[in-house]
Amino acid sequence: MSHYEGYEPVIGLEIHAQLNTRSLMFGRAPNQFGDEPNVNLDFLNTGQPGALPVINKEAVKKAVFFGLAIEADINLISLFDRKSYFYPDCPLNFQITQFYKPIIVGGEITTEVEGETKLFRIHHAHLENDAGKLIHFPDFTGVDFNRSGAPLLEIVSEPCMHSPKDASAYAQAIKAILEYIDSSECNMQEGHFRMDANISVRKKGESGLRPKTEIKNMNSFFNMELAIESEIQRQIEFYENNPGKKLISGTYRFDLERRKTILMRSKESADDYRYFPEPDLPPLVLTKKFIEELREELPELPRAKFKRYVEVLGLSHYSADLLVNDKPLCKDFEEGLKIAKNPKAFCNWLTVEFIGLIKESGKTLKEIGIDTKQIAELANLVEEGVITGRIAKSVASDMLKSPGKPPALIVKENPDYQPLRDTSLIEEIVDRVLALNAPSIADYKNGRDKALQYLIGQVMKECKGKATPGLTRDILIKKIEAL
Amino acid sequence: MYKKTGKELNSLFLQKQISAEEIVAYFIKRIHAFEPSIQSLLSTLESRALEKARALDLKLSQNKPIGKLGAIPIILKDNMHMKGEKTTCASQFLKNYEAPFDATVTTLIEEADGIIIGKANMDEFAMGSSTENSSFKKSYNPWNLDYTPGGSSGGSAAAVAAMLAPISLGSDTGGSIRQPAAFCNLYGFKPTYGRVSRFGLVAFGSSLDQIGPFARSIEDIALMQEVIGGHCPYDSTSIPNSKEPYLNELETSIQGKVLGVPFSLLENIDEEIKNLFLDALEVYKSLGVKIVEINLDLIKYSIPTYYILATAEASTNLARFDGIRYGIRSPEAKTLEEIYEYSRGLGFGPEVKQRILLGTYVLSAGYQDAYYKKAQKVRSLIIRDYKHAFEHSDMIALPATPTTSFKLGSIQDPLKMYMQDIYTISANLAGVPALTLPIGFSASHLPVGMQLQGPLLKDARVLRFANHFAKATNFHQKLAPLFDKEAS
Repeated sequence: MSHYEGYEPVIGLEIHAQLNTRSLMFGRAPNQFGDEPNVNLDFLNTGQPGALPVINKEAVKKAVFFGLAIEADINLISLFDRKSYFYPDCPLNFQITQFYKPIIVGGEITTEVEGETKLFRIHHAHLENDAGKLIHFPDFTGVDFNRSGAPLLEIVSEPCMHSPKDASAYAQAIKAILEYIDSSECNMQEGHFRMDANISVRKKGESGLRPKTEIKNMNSFFNMELAIESEIQRQIEFYENNPGKKLISGTYRFDLERRKTILMRSKESADDYRYFPEPDLPPLVLTKKFIEELREELPELPRAKFKRYVEVLGLSHYSADLLVNDKPLCKDFEEGLKIAKNPKAFCNWLTVEFIGLIKESGKTLKEIGIDTKQIAELANLVEEGVITGRIAKSVASDMLKSPGKPPALIVKENPDYQPLRDTSLIEEIVDRVLALNAPSIADYKNGRDKALQYLIGQVMKECKGKATPGLTRDILIKKIEAL
Repeated sequence: MYKKTGKELNSLFLQKQISAEEIVAYFIKRIHAFEPSIQSLLSTLESRALEKARALDLKLSQNKPIGKLGAIPIILKDNMHMKGEKTTCASQFLKNYEAPFDATVTTLIEEADGIIIGKANMDEFAMGSSTENSSFKKSYNPWNLDYTPGGSSGGSAAAVAAMLAPISLGSDTGGSIRQPAAFCNLYGFKPTYGRVSRFGLVAFGSSLDQIGPFARSIEDIALMQEVIGGHCPYDSTSIPNSKEPYLNELETSIQGKVLGVPFSLLENIDEEIKNLFLDALEVYKSLGVKIVEINLDLIKYSIPTYYILATAEASTNLARFDGIRYGIRSPEAKTLEEIYEYSRGLGFGPEVKQRILLGTYVLSAGYQDAYYKKAQKVRSLIIRDYKHAFEHSDMIALPATPTTSFKLGSIQDPLKMYMQDIYTISANLAGVPALTLPIGFSASHLPVGMQLQGPLLKDARVLRFANHFAKATNFHQKLAPLFDKEAS
């Protein structure tokens, strides 16, 4: 954080997660959106007079699941409120939300930020309905109400983050939880997971918070990091250039091309939402029994999985974090794990080798047609000494070229992939290598293991990776000791 | 036949002495004859009603089971939806609005084979006490055409008092059923809040609104409650397991029961009304009911409390009328702001605008604590006072209105108009069931009513108390003389 020159950024996130329920938050229309505008309508999400809201129990359940997953307090009685504002995408011209008493209070998540384990706190999370969408045409504007009324869980963090990386790690951890408990599809392109960041900076050591700005409606972690970083720099610059002055609070959006935050409106024209209790909805009352039953249904959560991967399987923090934050990849990993002889080695093949190979294509393994089980089979071939790691890398490339072909078959069909089993041939190569590397032999004899590794590498090079490292090692040691 | 109650018409129909089609045609003929002089309806559903009647006649001829309201003509206030028919709320804003679905009450009435023959005039969006705030027309009191039938359900009351139908439905947010019932010599019932579904009722003050019936007999009120008083999954404030045996309980004795009366509230009332009210208490005494004094002094604060809470809710309930999706849109509007401003300016009448402004104000930052939140506290205290009162009494008796009906146009000061609701509003704030019943006439031959208010969920008890009074008196049988005749 040294590049903030004595300043400390303070960041809080508001995340709007769309819950994957069958019907809307308060209405009867299905909670699904085709490309055709205004096909999923009901009386409420088009604001018909006489229509009344009814709380979607499935949405409540999914919200409680989330609350349990972050170890928050679940309010046994929570209330809904009307938030008034006029806008064409809001058919009632008020939103039904939980302003005074939300369903979830507190909670925390632990996650990895650049190799460091950090804990972030949640202030509260509440249920509300989504707005429709304005679609602008050259000479008029239309409203699509398909999304109007969709259930949202708004998750509000404490101002507990201090860098763009903190913010994106926190948001990714929230996303992973929502996916694990099947509360949201979290498809960011489709707006299932939208982030607003509240940002202020202060001098290090200062205790109070300075005026904040808000960047609204971001749907990519990478862009959010850029946006927060640029806003932090803008604020530091402001304080440096205007000593003693107060920053003007306001709402911003991030212009990706200009890499700049753009002011949308300052807080001076603050809206008065005139919150008051929604008279059409009685208090939402939950029983302890209901909550305990849901607790029983909770699946293994990302953090528990992370711990298991690190402590039981021996994975690195990096690999474990990568896996748990990517639910589909993690699911594939678990599939492969069923047959993998060495989980750690399999994990490396999956998360380092294969993910590295496909990175440029922008596709997932599934999209390319690679079954994770075959990656486990490949790792097992190395583990069993059937092929060497070096050959396995070539096999991996071949697997991407002909997706679905079992690695064992690829090995069998390619003479170059047959390992060198003839000891006399290896001994010949070892003799050649030893003859050329007298200093390394001396080093090894003086107790330097690295020297042995070097010699093994030389033999491998000579035989084009066809000798197994174990066998090579044995022969080398035997020969050196016989010298 | 116009003198018959709904229940009596239903019996004649079931005995095949008269067909449903004949009943409906008869009342439609009365509408044609008398409606021009009372102006109680905004639409007459002639062909739809006759079609329903013929289908019902066929059903009876095939010996299929007939619902409880079989062949009874019914009128709805024009703020309740009937799919495919207009729901105007007597507002220019909705003058062409076609309901996209049936209100739950509509569904229940039609399932019970009742026949809806018209939709009644009202104060615009149910805001008013004289039906003069209708943007379409004034309604006239059948007892004296210079006078108002009351409001906001004035059309529903006038239609039943002129015997254009035996039963109608109104909605009551602060007295909008009970005050017109008192002005028109009818029974008018506001059930316990949550008893009748509000689904498909265009909302005014959601936490206060309740649908209820008008009729000339307490049996008809009980009959309607049996049909419309049930749980509805589409209204979250609807009470679960909500049925009561209204008809069966009508005859159960009230001897030895205690009637609580807040005598301190009778001070500023018309002497005539006060005397008739005291006479009515004597009737109850003669029926073996004990009269005790109770304290409901907080009712004095009910009007300001009500006008804060109801307008706060209304300001948001009516926000959806924005000119974007339905209703009128000003052709002058060029920008989004102008669509809102001009369309609402054009579509709403002055009383509606005034209440939206008031409601917006009391919810605004900086004022909410002084108004909205304080009013909520007073509401809690009124609820508490009712609870206390019912610890000592089985039923409460109150006047229905401080005056008899007044001449159309005679009250111009809105605050004076709001005083009409002084005795009725507290039942909406507390949610308790309340009924107006006829107790006599003023020297100028205008009807006078009184109110019975029962504990929460004791709707059937309220009707029972009224039924015993009805058996001892004949005020409810008096018919408006101008309409006590066949249509020629």
